[in-house]
Amino acid sequence: MSFRWKHAEAPAAAVERSEPTNTRFSDQLIAVLPRLRRFARGLTGSAAEADDLVQAACERALTRAHQFQEGTRFDSWMFRIVQTIWIDQLRARDVRKEDGEIAEERLGTDAPVRRIEARLALSEVRRAIEHLPPDQRTTLMLVTVEGLSYKEAAEVAGVPVGTIMSRLARARTALQQQLEAGSAVRRSATNAEAQ
Amino acid sequence: MQKHSDEALVAYLDGELDNTERGHVEAWLEADPAVRDRLAALAQATELARGAYADIVNEPLPERLIAAARGETLTPSQQEAEILVLRPNRAAAQVRLRRWHIGLAAAAGLFGVLFGGAGTYVGMGLLNRANPENEQKLAAATANNIWLDNAAGYYKMAVNAGDNMLVDVPADKEEVWQKISKDLSQQVRSPNLTPWGLSFRGARLVVVEGRPAAQLVYNTDNKEIGPLTLVIGASKQPDIAPSISKRQDVTLLYWRHAGRAYALVGRGDLGYLWGIAKDLAYQLDPI
Repeated sequence: MSFRWKHAEAPAAAVERSEPTNTRFSDQLIAVLPRLRRFARGLTGSAAEADDLVQAACERALTRAHQFQEGTRFDSWMFRIVQTIWIDQLRARDVRKEDGEIAEERLGTDAPVRRIEARLALSEVRRAIEHLPPDQRTTLMLVTVEGLSYKEAAEVAGVPVGTIMSRLARARTALQQQLEAGSAVRRSATNAEAQ
Repeated sequence: MQKHSDEALVAYLDGELDNTERGHVEAWLEADPAVRDRLAALAQATELARGAYADIVNEPLPERLIAAARGETLTPSQQEAEILVLRPNRAAAQVRLRRWHIGLAAAAGLFGVLFGGAGTYVGMGLLNRANPENEQKLAAATANNIWLDNAAGYYKMAVNAGDNMLVDVPADKEEVWQKISKDLSQQVRSPNLTPWGLSFRGARLVVVEGRPAAQLVYNTDNKEIGPLTLVIGASKQPDIAPSISKRQDVTLLYWRHAGRAYALVGRGDLGYLWGIAKDLAYQLDPI
């Protein structure tokens, strides 16, 4: 007897009933994946953790697809899911930190990449953003990187527009100060080498 | 919001002020050169933040995320649609939900493209051009990293699906290794892992680095160890000895030899996994 990789032997009805989910919904989800990954990367600071986060967000979105309101922004809805899961993870991680497990959890996630990437100045900006408090980081990613309006970001974050404004101002000020400080350190190191 | 504040400047930069507020800020800028410098500094930080993440949207999407978006990572109980559960070791279980082509296009050209733009972004004295050697290392490390991410992701799918997981090639078919070898275009021999307390459950076809790969699934009666998977795929990367990586609580032992990449994935004791990896390397490596 021979068998095939693909679903040739499955009865048509079985395949139809096994179709995982609404195709149009999935297509929308796939279209927004690059931006979700970028948003998640900004939140977590790690490529592997970001993809885990996006995967979890996709799974949650599919189980709650009925909650999405047609006519509203799909990307904002997904950003909210990503953000919610991330906050849950942060809280869980805080609990685990007390048990001393955090070091093991982060061990080796993408250490080889990060070691090399550390040599690239591009990562300096990302690192500075990673040092921002979570609420500021989220706001900065939503507005500055993802281009949401203050009102849309406020809806995603579940806070008033005024809070978005103040978080953004604090985030950009802190970012600018961190980058300036890094630049100053580099300049003095270069000067020392030259001497 | 105070008229003269960083908040006002940031909102001005973002185009979020109404006409009156914008007028106030512009008058303030006109009157005070220090505020103009402040605005320029904030604008610089904004542009750098935007540029730092610009390339991520151009990266190939990992196969596992496309699978997740299509609902293929959900366990049947999580899915809203009625699922026909098929037992893995029967002919009817050969229903193929996954498609070979998923992610093939998206993952093509994985090497070297992820951070291709990273070294070319030079901004306002804060970013330096990366040297090509670093970029090459970064690209290789990133590709390896994504390979392992996918292997770990497929492992999680197998664990989440539990007994309901569908296999493409059940273990009780004699032709299983011929089929795997044929579809991977490389001869793959059957590793015997029964001395390790593992029973071969079957193989699933997955996509890794944009190419077909086989995920071999092994069960054990020891619940603390749980299932193990071995992903075998083709690779153009140089050979490497078995190495360890982690993804949260999942351990990966991976190696490359003679154009093949292997990743043994599980949650068991590292020593136990290490022993299996060494045994697999011995059994599977082409002569």
